[in-house]
Amino acid sequence: MNLLEIFDPKAPPRPIGIDLGTTNSLVAYVSGERPIAIANCDLEVLVPSVVSYLPSGEIVVGRRAVELASEHPRDTIVSVKRFMGRGADDPETRRLGPYEFIQPAPGASNTVRFKVEGRGAVTPVEVSAEILRMLKAQAEDELRNVGGAVITVPAYFDDAQRQATKDAARLAGLEVLRLINEPTAAALAYGLEKKKSGTFVVYDLGGGTFDVTTLVLDDGVFQVRSTGGDSQLGGDDMDRAIAQELLLKLGFDQGRQTPQLVRLVLDESRKAKHALTTLDFVDAEVPGQRLVRITRSRFEDLIRPLLERTGAACRRALKDAGLTPKNIDGVILVGGATRVPAVRKYVAQLFEKEPLSDIDPDQVVALGAAVQADLLAGQGQSEDILLLDVIPLSLGIEVGGGVVDKILPRNSTIPCSARSTYTTQKDNQTGFEIHVAQGEREMVADNRSLARFTLKGIPPMPAGMARLEVTFQVDADGLLGVRAKEVTTGIEQTVSVKPSYGLDDSTVEQMLLEALDHGEDDLTRRRLAENRVEASRILVATRKGLDADADLLEEGERALIEEACAKLDEAGRGDDPSRIHARIAALDDATKAFAGRRMNRAIARAIEGKKVDTIEKSVEHAKGIEEAHAR
Amino acid sequence: MDPFATLGMPANFDVDLSVVEKTHRELSRALHPDRYVASGASERRAALGKAVEVNEAWRIVRDPIRRAEALLELRGVEVGETAEPKADPEFLMEMLEQREALADARQARDLPGVRRLAALVEVRSRDAEREMAAGFAGGGPVAPLVAKLAELRFYRRFLDEVSAIEDELAA
Repeated sequence: MNLLEIFDPKAPPRPIGIDLGTTNSLVAYVSGERPIAIANCDLEVLVPSVVSYLPSGEIVVGRRAVELASEHPRDTIVSVKRFMGRGADDPETRRLGPYEFIQPAPGASNTVRFKVEGRGAVTPVEVSAEILRMLKAQAEDELRNVGGAVITVPAYFDDAQRQATKDAARLAGLEVLRLINEPTAAALAYGLEKKKSGTFVVYDLGGGTFDVTTLVLDDGVFQVRSTGGDSQLGGDDMDRAIAQELLLKLGFDQGRQTPQLVRLVLDESRKAKHALTTLDFVDAEVPGQRLVRITRSRFEDLIRPLLERTGAACRRALKDAGLTPKNIDGVILVGGATRVPAVRKYVAQLFEKEPLSDIDPDQVVALGAAVQADLLAGQGQSEDILLLDVIPLSLGIEVGGGVVDKILPRNSTIPCSARSTYTTQKDNQTGFEIHVAQGEREMVADNRSLARFTLKGIPPMPAGMARLEVTFQVDADGLLGVRAKEVTTGIEQTVSVKPSYGLDDSTVEQMLLEALDHGEDDLTRRRLAENRVEASRILVATRKGLDADADLLEEGERALIEEACAKLDEAGRGDDPSRIHARIAALDDATKAFAGRRMNRAIARAIEGKKVDTIEKSVEHAKGIEEAHAR
Repeated sequence: MDPFATLGMPANFDVDLSVVEKTHRELSRALHPDRYVASGASERRAALGKAVEVNEAWRIVRDPIRRAEALLELRGVEVGETAEPKADPEFLMEMLEQREALADARQARDLPGVRRLAALVEVRSRDAEREMAAGFAGGGPVAPLVAKLAELRFYRRFLDEVSAIEDELAA
């Protein structure tokens, strides 16, 4: 930290990148050209993703919370990320630790709730929000004013888990610029620093999850070709493998293992794993027990099955992308567990080349997120860099016999949408149940269930007559929306998939109100500030558009748009957030047709493969393309 | 939607995917939502709509089965398994035998055997694609093309099954 910097209350907001990890979290920003991680006052960059709730109501996050974990195992939430977006009745939830859960009341939302000291109940979203709040404060110490954030999630996160992550950020008072996949963020960090193009694999073995991604870097565009992985595999499993060995050698069978003992042994196992990165053997010392020697080669045998599991996922990702190890130009390592020499050896063998590891594997994801945040907030300064991501798992709906009909196949580039038509099976069927599932398996029972809803009010018709059109739309954050429509009658229903174990908007709003000291007042002030920023952003963008494509304006159109601009400008100087909001909508209306024409020109130029050509030519071409694109 | 027009390319079965990928990338560069974070809602919506369309077109064109379906639709043929005529019984019989051989290899946990069966089907699948390309380029009758499409679907399903079995046997 530079002590000579002078405090500036009007410091411009700076975008940040956050890696909200299973084991550790960290925050980074771009300083000049380079992303750097932000350290706290103890000069530590990694914040352990641990939150401890004390009887006094105090909440402790990070290193200090880790120290409280053995004393207060129930009230100290470790690896909360594994609970994100899971239901209270999910068997994984029960398996994951020493916590006490609160049973949801019948009919209430099926969210996981930890019973903790001082607070009663907290959800995984709230726990994650505490970690994000800590990171935000750390960033504010360094940057004064924090703008929006890009937050990373495992590529393998499903829709519910992404939504939960976004909710946590909102709760922490962070504007989410974008959720991006961790492996893609890593590539971004590498791509920018090295300016390479080619085909790459990101091998990400974190504390709790494994991800593999293949992507193509070409002329500034990072295009994800395929992703795969295992959301229940990571460095923690290596600790567990050592711990099992230690417990066995020390003669503790299942019946004699107390939670405290297991935690001590796990801690010792982690230390042994770290030491074996450089040493050939280590003598593990569980307090009160005899020393147990573990050699590196024994350790490597113990983790071999874990490595094989990563290998299977890698082979599938290569196959999905139509690649072989020979096509791969480089392998990027992410996650602390990739420091283990056996992992590096395995990866080198699998891909037939030494992996890249120039950037700290613990930081590379946050650094990439910072780069993306800078790109998103920088408004086209680095116009040549773009990230094209894909959906990691196929999305479909249940059809007859419990079979899934895949509507969007995995590895479709986002944003995307697809439509499929179905019909009724029974005479006079007036409702149609839609069950949305995510996964690759043929039977719906083997996949993840995302949502169920019923399209009602279909008039009685003979079986097979109704035409039910289901549309899936996935936005650039990878979040799914589903629309169902009966075509002959036009009856329509839309759901954004927010499953029963998520939090609804009003709950989040309520939590926000409670979190703020002055409730309503603060919220109004915040909304005003947000709307003003939005207004000035749109005004700048609109004027830029009017200048750039003046020839696309129709007669009288400019006057209308300029009038709407003036009105918005005027509202922006007042202090009524809803008035600003309404004028933004009015300007939006006035520019609709113009925006469409501008887009067609952009398409025409892109297809021609040149950015600026003689205007005559591209207008002419735009007409041809316009026909294809007009709907 | 005509995916070929969306990508500004001629409607052929025979396509150079590396060229199409480049076009898709250029279009994405122009349309991706990240390019419009600072814009007004109307422009963001317009860009999003087009980006979605371009991605859909790419999804169709890069997959031989969807590409063939789109070409047939452009010729006014209704596609989809319920609309198409039943496959040739001889072919069905043969595929049934292949499926049985695959099930046996799976039972025996015979991974090389599974891969051998897959390799045979891959060759046939490539041949079918080549014949399809010739058929579409020649502008002849559509009926044989519809039959080839049905064949491709069988091969795809077979190979999907193979990859599920490979995962199972590797675990």
